[in-house]
Amino acid sequence: MNGKSVARGAVSAVVLFAAATVLCGVLYPLAVAGVAAVAFPWQATGSIIEVDGVKYGSALVGQPFRGEGHLWGRPTLADARAFADEDGAPLLWYGPENLSPASDEFGERVAKRVAAVRAAHPDQGDAPVPSDLVTVSGSGFDPHISPAAAEYQVGRIAAATGRSVEEVRGIIRQCTERPLLGALGEARVNVLKVNLMLDGIL
Amino acid sequence: MSADVGATLLLAVAYGGVVLACAVPLSRYLVAVMEGRRLGATRVLGPVERGLYRLMGTKATDTMGWKRFLTSLLVFTAVCLAGLMGLLMAQGALPGNPEALPGLPADTAFNLAASFVTNTDWQPVAGETHLSYFSQAVGLTVQNFLSPAAGIAVAFALMRGLVVRGTGKVGNFFVDVVRAVLYVLLPLALLLALVGAAEGIPQTFQGYETVQLLEPVAVDAEGNVVDVDDPAAVQTVTEAVVPLGPQASQVAIKQLGTNGGGFNGANSASALENPTPLTNFLQCVAMPLVPFALILAFGRMVGDRRQGRALMAAVLVLLAVGIVAVVVAESQATPQLAADGSVYTGGLGQAAGNMEGKEVRIGVGASALWMAFTTAIANGSSNASLVGMTPMGTLVPLVFIGLGEVVGGGAGTGLAGLIGFTVLAVFVASLMVGRSPQYLGKKIGPAEMRMATVMVVAPALVILAGAVVLTLSPVGASAVGEGGPFGFSQLLYAATSAGGNNGSGLGGLDANLPLINLVLGGEMLLGRLIPMAAALALAGHLASREPQASGAATLSTASPLFVTLLLVIIVLVGALTLLPALALGPVAEQFAGAF
Repeated sequence: MNGKSVARGAVSAVVLFAAATVLCGVLYPLAVAGVAAVAFPWQATGSIIEVDGVKYGSALVGQPFRGEGHLWGRPTLADARAFADEDGAPLLWYGPENLSPASDEFGERVAKRVAAVRAAHPDQGDAPVPSDLVTVSGSGFDPHISPAAAEYQVGRIAAATGRSVEEVRGIIRQCTERPLLGALGEARVNVLKVNLMLDGIL
Repeated sequence: MSADVGATLLLAVAYGGVVLACAVPLSRYLVAVMEGRRLGATRVLGPVERGLYRLMGTKATDTMGWKRFLTSLLVFTAVCLAGLMGLLMAQGALPGNPEALPGLPADTAFNLAASFVTNTDWQPVAGETHLSYFSQAVGLTVQNFLSPAAGIAVAFALMRGLVVRGTGKVGNFFVDVVRAVLYVLLPLALLLALVGAAEGIPQTFQGYETVQLLEPVAVDAEGNVVDVDDPAAVQTVTEAVVPLGPQASQVAIKQLGTNGGGFNGANSASALENPTPLTNFLQCVAMPLVPFALILAFGRMVGDRRQGRALMAAVLVLLAVGIVAVVVAESQATPQLAADGSVYTGGLGQAAGNMEGKEVRIGVGASALWMAFTTAIANGSSNASLVGMTPMGTLVPLVFIGLGEVVGGGAGTGLAGLIGFTVLAVFVASLMVGRSPQYLGKKIGPAEMRMATVMVVAPALVILAGAVVLTLSPVGASAVGEGGPFGFSQLLYAATSAGGNNGSGLGGLDANLPLINLVLGGEMLLGRLIPMAAALALAGHLASREPQASGAATLSTASPLFVTLLLVIIVLVGALTLLPALALGPVAEQFAGAF
C-alpha cells in the first residue's frame, strides 16, 4: 500500500463512480420508464382510477371508509401533515402502527376497534370480528380486505344502500381477486373499487 | 401443526426450489463472467466493458495483491460515500425534484450514504417524504448496484486466494465491480423491473398524483385526523396523495443486490412497491438468488462442486430452522389480538394468525417467509411491519442478522463470512484429530486463523458495542416508544441491523437523531469493512501459499460430518455472543406477555 497505488486507485474509483451513475442511475431508470410508458402506462403512473375526469384514488392505496353505505377497509393511521397541495391544503397520507401485538396498548386499541365495528354491525351480534378489520397493515394503507371481512359487512351495507344482500355480494365478488395459481397470495377484495361501484361511479 | 402452517412450509419448499433452480445456472454464468471468459453477452457488452477499463486506466490482466485490492475497495467506498452524501445534502438545488424537497441535514445524509454504500440500506427517513426522484435514482439506486458488486468482488478475491498457486494475486477490484454490474446485476434488474412495472409498481418521472377522497376526513388544531363531525375538527381534508417516481427500477435492484432499501417508508409492504402476489414471490426469491449462486460458484471455482454444495447445505439447514420458527410464531395471534375470542383469527375466508402489520394480499404465511429470507440474506426489505410481529417471531430476524451474514448473507459478504466460519471449523476439526489444518489444499497457519477469527467475531463486536452506546445514552432511551424489554429490543434491533449490514428496522424507533445516525452509520461502515479487510488479508495469505497434495489423511470438508461441525460452530459463536442480549429483549417480552 503506497501513495502511488492510492492515487491510481482514486482515479479509477472516481471514473467508476461517475460511469455507474450514468449507467445505473440515469440510463437504467429511463429505459424502464420508457418501456413502461409505452407498454403499461396505467400501471406505471400509479394505477389511478379515473372516471369522467375525476381521479378517485389509486387501486393500490387504501382510503379511510366509515360511511354507512360503504365497505370498510383496514384501520388506517392517516396523516395530514406530511403532504400539502400547491395551495397549502393538507393531503392525506398514511403510516404504520408500530405497536408490538404483545403490548397492552395494542390490546386496548384492538378492544376499541372491536367495539366500534360491532356497534356498526348489530346484525352480526357477538360473532367474532375478522382480524383484518381491527389490525393495521404493514404499510398503513392496505387497499384490500379479506373475503371474510367483506362478508361480515354485507348486511349493514345492504340495509344502508337499499340494495339486496345478493346485489352487494355480487359487487364484492366482482372486486375480489383470487390467489395466483391457487397458491401465491390470499383472496382479497379491493375496497375502493367496491365503494365506487356501490356509489354508482364505476 | 395447523393446516396453514403446513401450507406455508410447502410454499417455502417451492420458494427454495425455484431459487436453487435459478441459482445453479447463475453460478455457472457468474464464474464465467468474473473469470473473463467469452460469452454471448460479451459481444454486446464487451465494448462497453473495455471502454470503461480504458477510462479507469486499468486492464483486465492487471491483477492485484490483497493490499492493493483492499486499498482500491477503501478508496472506492470513500468516493461513493462522499459522492452520495453530497448529493443528498444538495438535493434541493438539483433537478428531478418535483415535490421541491429540501436537502438532508449532514447527520441524516451521512447515515443514509453509509447505509447504501455498505449494502445495509437502513433508512432514517421515509423516501417518499424526504427524497427527490434524483436522490432515489441517481443516488441510492446506483449504490444498490455498486455495493453488491463490491461484495461479489471480495468474494471472488477470496475464492481466487484458495485457487491460485503461490502468486499472491487475488484479482482486480475495479474489473470485478464492472463485470458484476454489467453482466449480472443490470440485466437481471432490468428484467425484474419490467415485470414489476407491468404488475403496477410506478415507474415515472412525473410528480406525485393528487386524488379525490370518497369520504373526506377532518383534522383538529394539532393536525391529527378526526371524523368530519368531530367538534375538534378545524379543517376538512378532501384529497389524498399518491407518491410516484422511478420505483420499479429501484425495487428490482434493492432485492437482487441484497440491499433492501425501499423507495417508500413502508418498503415492500406498500402496494405501490409490491402490488401483487406475483411481485411478492419474485421479490422474495430475488433476495437469495445472488448469494446462493455465489455459494455454488465457490464449488465451481475451487474445482470441486461438492464444496459449494456442502456450504449450501449448511445454509439451507439454518434457513429451514428459522423459517419453521417464524412461520409457527406468526401463525398464532397474541392474546391481545385474539381479545378473548371477539376477534376471528382463524383461516376461513382470511389469513389465519397474526394479521397485525401484514397486508391482506400477501397474508401471514408469505410475510413470515419473507422475514426469514430478508434477514438471513442481509437484505432488510420488508413486506410487513417487523414491529407488528409476535415477540418470538422477531427473535428469528434478530438471530439471523446477529449470526453475521452466514445464512446466505449479503452478495459476496455472505460467502466470505461462511468461508471464515469454515476455516475456523477446519482448524477445530484438525485439532480434534491431530492433523495439521489445511483447507482445499492450502495450509491454515496462524495468520489465516487470525483473519478468520476477525471475520467471525467482528460483526458481533460491532453490534454489541453499538447496542451499548445506544442503550447507555439518554438519546437512545428517548428514542424508544414503549420502554421496557420491547424498548431494549428496538435499540438492540437497530444496532444489530446496522452492524450486520441488514437495514431492516423495528418500527417505532425515532431513529433520525444525530447521535443515533452517527452511531449506526459508523457501525455500518465498521461492520462491513472490518470483515472485508480480514477476508482480503485471508485471501492474500492463502494466495501466496503453494497448494499441498491431499491424501487419504486429509480432512474431508464436503462430508455431512463436516457440515454438522460447521453448523455447531456457527450456532455456538452466535449463541455465545448474542444470547444474553436476546434474553433481555424478545425473550423477556414473550414471557412477560405469556404469564
